[in-house]
Amino acid sequence: MTSEAATAAIPALRSDQLFVNLGPQHPSTHGVLRVGLTIEGEVIVKAVPDIGYLHRGTEKLAEARGYHHCVVLTDRWDYVASMPNNLVFCLAAEKLLGVKATPRADALRVMMCELNRIASHLLFVGTYGIDIGAFTPFLYAFREREMILDLFEMVCGARLTYNYIRLGGVMVDVTPEWTAKLKEFLEYFKPKIDEYDQLLSYNPIFMARTQGVGLITAAEAVSWSLSGPNLRGSGVVYDARKADPYCGYENYDFDVVVGKEGSCWDRYFCRVTEMRQSVRIVEQVLAKLPEGPVMAAGVAKIPKPAPGEAYAHVEAARGDLGVHLVSDGGVSPFRMHVRAPSFLNLAILQEKLVGMKISDVIALLGSTDIVLGEVDR
Amino acid sequence: MIGYFSKVYKVAAALVTGHLITLKYMLKPSITIHYPTEKLTPYERFRGALTFDAATCISCSMCVKACPSNCIALENAVSEAGKKVAKVAWYSIDFGKCNFCRLCEESCPTKPKSVWHSLDYEVVFASRDEMVRCWKKDFPFIGKYFDRRTQDFKDPEGQVCIHEVPPRRS
Amino acid sequence: MTAPKPAPAKAPLPEPVLNRKNGILMADRRWPTDQWAHPWSLPGYRNGALMLAGIILGILGGGALIGELSKWGDKLYALMAAFATAKGISTVAVDAVWVAIKVLIVLHVILVNGLWSIWWERKISAHIQSRVGPTYAGGFHGWAQTICDGIKLFLKEDITPAAADHWVHALAPAIVIAPCIAAFAPVLFGTDLAAARLDVGTLYVFAFAGISVIGVVMAGWASGNKYSLLGGLRAAAQIVSYELPRGFSVVPVIMFAGSLDLSVIADAQSGYWWGVAPRWFVFYPVVGQVAFLIFLIASIAETNRTPFDIPEAESELVGGFHTEYSGMKWSVFFLAEYAYVLLASFLLATFFLGGGGSPLPWAPFTLVPSWIWMLSKAMFMMFVFLWVRWTLPRLRVDQLMDFNWKFLLPWSFANIAVAGLYLAFWLK
Repeated sequence: MTSEAATAAIPALRSDQLFVNLGPQHPSTHGVLRVGLTIEGEVIVKAVPDIGYLHRGTEKLAEARGYHHCVVLTDRWDYVASMPNNLVFCLAAEKLLGVKATPRADALRVMMCELNRIASHLLFVGTYGIDIGAFTPFLYAFREREMILDLFEMVCGARLTYNYIRLGGVMVDVTPEWTAKLKEFLEYFKPKIDEYDQLLSYNPIFMARTQGVGLITAAEAVSWSLSGPNLRGSGVVYDARKADPYCGYENYDFDVVVGKEGSCWDRYFCRVTEMRQSVRIVEQVLAKLPEGPVMAAGVAKIPKPAPGEAYAHVEAARGDLGVHLVSDGGVSPFRMHVRAPSFLNLAILQEKLVGMKISDVIALLGSTDIVLGEVDR
Repeated sequence: MIGYFSKVYKVAAALVTGHLITLKYMLKPSITIHYPTEKLTPYERFRGALTFDAATCISCSMCVKACPSNCIALENAVSEAGKKVAKVAWYSIDFGKCNFCRLCEESCPTKPKSVWHSLDYEVVFASRDEMVRCWKKDFPFIGKYFDRRTQDFKDPEGQVCIHEVPPRRS
Repeated sequence: MTAPKPAPAKAPLPEPVLNRKNGILMADRRWPTDQWAHPWSLPGYRNGALMLAGIILGILGGGALIGELSKWGDKLYALMAAFATAKGISTVAVDAVWVAIKVLIVLHVILVNGLWSIWWERKISAHIQSRVGPTYAGGFHGWAQTICDGIKLFLKEDITPAAADHWVHALAPAIVIAPCIAAFAPVLFGTDLAAARLDVGTLYVFAFAGISVIGVVMAGWASGNKYSLLGGLRAAAQIVSYELPRGFSVVPVIMFAGSLDLSVIADAQSGYWWGVAPRWFVFYPVVGQVAFLIFLIASIAETNRTPFDIPEAESELVGGFHTEYSGMKWSVFFLAEYAYVLLASFLLATFFLGGGGSPLPWAPFTLVPSWIWMLSKAMFMMFVFLWVRWTLPRLRVDQLMDFNWKFLLPWSFANIAVAGLYLAFWLK
């Protein structure tokens, strides 16, 4: 009996598709993301990401607040790395106001953003480890992240929502004790990245789980408008810090890290390697920190920019974060729009999840490193 | 065949390296602190719960304007002659709305600051009423809250330990 | 503790009400760099080292106690038999009582092991992760934490979901734990110290340990939860598959020992090569180590622990098959898991680490009773279980199967073949 005949002889197995809600309360959706999964066995047939559980209407709120007040709102987009959020709004508003930050403020902005990138990537490394099932790297990553948060607390008083970068400069200057602490941290941190590599990145089980999983080709990444490590993991060399330098990034020597095939491991390893690059940048900033004031003169208490538009974008920890501000000459923006990288990175999931296994869904979802505060805004 | 065995060896070696790292940290002292019995002192610039000092306040409303979330409210005191004086009649902060952004403190023109972030990070509230702290003439240092059920001002209990941390005020 | 700076006002502010007096303020942040510079200067570190020493002594003392008590067993039995003959009671009744006593003892081994190993796992995992784990319950290093949790679990509401298949849902934990208890019957706690001496002890243990998977599948199916269902099905596939390499990896040991009896296997490892190196099966070149590793890996997979915890897979399936369980039913699953870890530890010690034999042939070591050696080896293997769990990430289902069928199983077959060569040319 041929195999075909054998199959024909068996009455068709009655199989059913299951609908599984992955989230909004699920250990590995990194916030309140809900993915409606239709599964057959363990294979995904259809995936519908459902967002909006954390919508706070920041863009609308900005229309009723002054420019100084809006900086506070920006802290809440990407709460894991809010320095770049502050920065991008301030850059856009400064364009509107025609103000230029002082050199020392620029250097401090770069330093804080890079430190925050390290903190954010550390969080990613830890939580991605948990997604894949290794609990211990999470605590190790948090141990180091805690030191960065301590540094932020020393300089601006907050550990998560900094409100540090202001229109025309930064809130306060750093102290020599802080710089000493930062140097201590950098010396401590550099060997720790190698440890993450040994413990997690080059762990054979971790590599088996993530290499070759969730492949996103360069063309797909570009056409879905991915940015940040998700784009670079696919091998596209694009980094706003190099492509469109701001705050004097052109003065610092660093490499744009790209992956090879666009697998989950590539995206993960991009971030790990970016931490090394960020350490390099911070060291360079520390070496040539210019003297001077940290706040530019001429920023009014209640700024009223001339009517017009401005767009600024920075390379935030999760990708290309942009802010489009429209002013009608009033005390608050007429319109603010945020190009949130997490939101755009999330969009590719609905196509990429189909055909994967449930374990791979977690691997891909984790590797895009979304923050729902930024997705829903 | 050699390739297969070398791969097996490499995988095993990588796994063993990971185990050695975890063993290394197991033998090192742990880095956590025991929170309720050991408390961290925040750094000097820490932005904790807002505190208000009615004695120095000149009732200029700068903090009210600076606040991005409208959590501060105050009313000018009125002299017996019916004229406004540079004192507050009452001052309230809604911690339910507070962003801990330091804008009010920066805008305060008095020296020392009349409204400032203390180092208190243990701000816990049992009810929504407790979140709105009120300062009047004889109200204590950490303010009182207005209980809507009993319709009177009460001392917040059990959650503010501002006394335990040195205040930062400049 | 400093009072708030009084305001420079004419009317001084009233003194703030002191609400919380507990706790001390840390002078400054202790960064890892400070913490690790001089570990012995930290009181917590010294206490921890003391605690570890105490635990090791406690294990040894506990082992000694059990062992010493076991010496009284024969006397007790003789006493009971004499009493029975004097009163004219059938010896069957005496045997029944005797078996009941032994069953109770073994049952308590499992229960106490649950208390002990959950606490131990918490402490080990905490210290691996630079934490401290439970510290408050019981006062000293949180020794009473599991007891408190146990009381909590007893008092918790027993929830059965509306969509659940009630009978199967309630029966599943029992089917998980019962074979687990039964499997402990022939397990050696020392030289010739077991509840029952069975000729086919090895087969018996494996046979009973394999039954528990039915309970897991039942739990997954009956919960009426899709995640549980996936977890249950994964567990079925996994545990059934890993039975094979687990069984085959012991075949060389059985070949060397020439018996399925656990006591004979342990005794076969007595003696020393060149008067120094113990003749444990793990030290047989290549075959021993390969068999040991395969058995260890398969045991980890059998107990559903990371890296093979796909049936639970917290980050994927929330809790897997025990998502919908609460209270005592839930804790029974955990009791079974830890009992299986203990079982695997004792089996590893028996099969590969020489049972109750001393590792060195000299006086202070050989004088130590066998049950202490047995328990120390088992506890060391339990530590290895925890260590592996808290280091490695989780495999995917298909990789798990690949690893089993394409790696472990061929290697265990090859191992048997090489063991045959050893028997043919070296050991005969």
